[in-house]
Amino acid sequence: MRISAAQVAARVLEALEKGERIHTAVVVDSPDRSLIGRRWWLSGRRTRGTLGSPALDEAVAAAVPSLFPPRESRGALSRDFEYSEGGSTVTARVYLELHGPPARMVIVGAGHIAIPLARMGAMLGMRVEVLDDRPEFAAAHRFPDAAAVRVIDFRDPFAATPLGPSDHVILVTRGHSFDYECLVRLLRMEAPPGYVGMIGSRRRVRATHEQLAREGFTTADMKRVRAPVGLDLGGQTPAEIAVSVVAEIILFHAGGTGAPLVEKERVVERFFGGATGRRAVPAGGGRSADVRGTDTQTNGD
Amino acid sequence: MDEKELMAQLAGLEEPAVLATIVSAKGSTPRKTGARMLIGREGVLAGTVGGGCGEGEVIAAAQDLFEGAPPTTVRVDLTDDFTTWSPAVCGGIMNVFIERANPERFGGG
Repeated sequence: MRISAAQVAARVLEALEKGERIHTAVVVDSPDRSLIGRRWWLSGRRTRGTLGSPALDEAVAAAVPSLFPPRESRGALSRDFEYSEGGSTVTARVYLELHGPPARMVIVGAGHIAIPLARMGAMLGMRVEVLDDRPEFAAAHRFPDAAAVRVIDFRDPFAATPLGPSDHVILVTRGHSFDYECLVRLLRMEAPPGYVGMIGSRRRVRATHEQLAREGFTTADMKRVRAPVGLDLGGQTPAEIAVSVVAEIILFHAGGTGAPLVEKERVVERFFGGATGRRAVPAGGGRSADVRGTDTQTNGD
Repeated sequence: MDEKELMAQLAGLEEPAVLATIVSAKGSTPRKTGARMLIGREGVLAGTVGGGCGEGEVIAAAQDLFEGAPPTTVRVDLTDDFTTWSPAVCGGIMNVFIERANPERFGGG
């Protein structure tokens, strides 16, 4: 059955409405030109349309989980797929997209760090949810950017917040016993959140880990928690700490190094001799060029 | 226009339109893989695959699809585009797939 881009778009919108993940595919190049433009979608176990060959449909469906990790909610890429057709091997180029519900940031602890963190999470396009056991802190007016603010009981903190691999959970509670209650549950989940971070000094993190060790958790379990959470930026204020946390989340997804670009690119050292104090050769006005690393932002192939 | 709005416009198209999608990109292209544009007989309806940087080539190629040409990939090479006023913005290569977005609205063609 042939389905059009417009029909697939309608299905994608429906999936997003229901909070489902959907993968779409279209043949963009093939030796059999009649296959070009054939499309197909896959959502859970439901699928519709065809890329023009059952063998190709199958090859693409099999590759989908490795092409789009479960923690991702968006993706777009092209790949060549080999499949056999009438005894010979054929290669077709397929363009794939993933559309999923927006990534979630669940902040546990609605104190002073949660406020900038919720704003920044929303700025990154995440669905932000804030949990605390104190109604005066877990108040919607304090978190205008949050999609949900919930008063919880730390004896079962995630009772009303089902979590999955694409979620980010950040523990910024007011004490390590509360963090501990959360961690015990998070570490025992069958499909735990892909990103679990916990704020704290070395001492506080150690105290929580000691409590986990007493409960029989292993060091491998402890290492699944980013604690202390965030990148080492040296900041101190709640906003600065929130930047360090969201920076780590970006790093987690985008896979950068976390190092300053000036050190990574070393434009002066590479192109201007590098020896300290030497007179630079070209460069207009003494300022180095705009080094935002745009030429490293390649994608696709 | 965000991705979802464009998707809604694509789903609800009443007039024949061509969909252009960046299916792969290399180097510093202004838009990345996944960016989309909808083109009608009279010109762009929504979205962008990079503004001045090679978009004209895509729009021109899309016109052939209204005349019955099959879907195809337009390779836009911006690495030697000396005519562009801002070479810093355009410096990559992108493959833009163009196809009829809603063949059911194209009538007999």
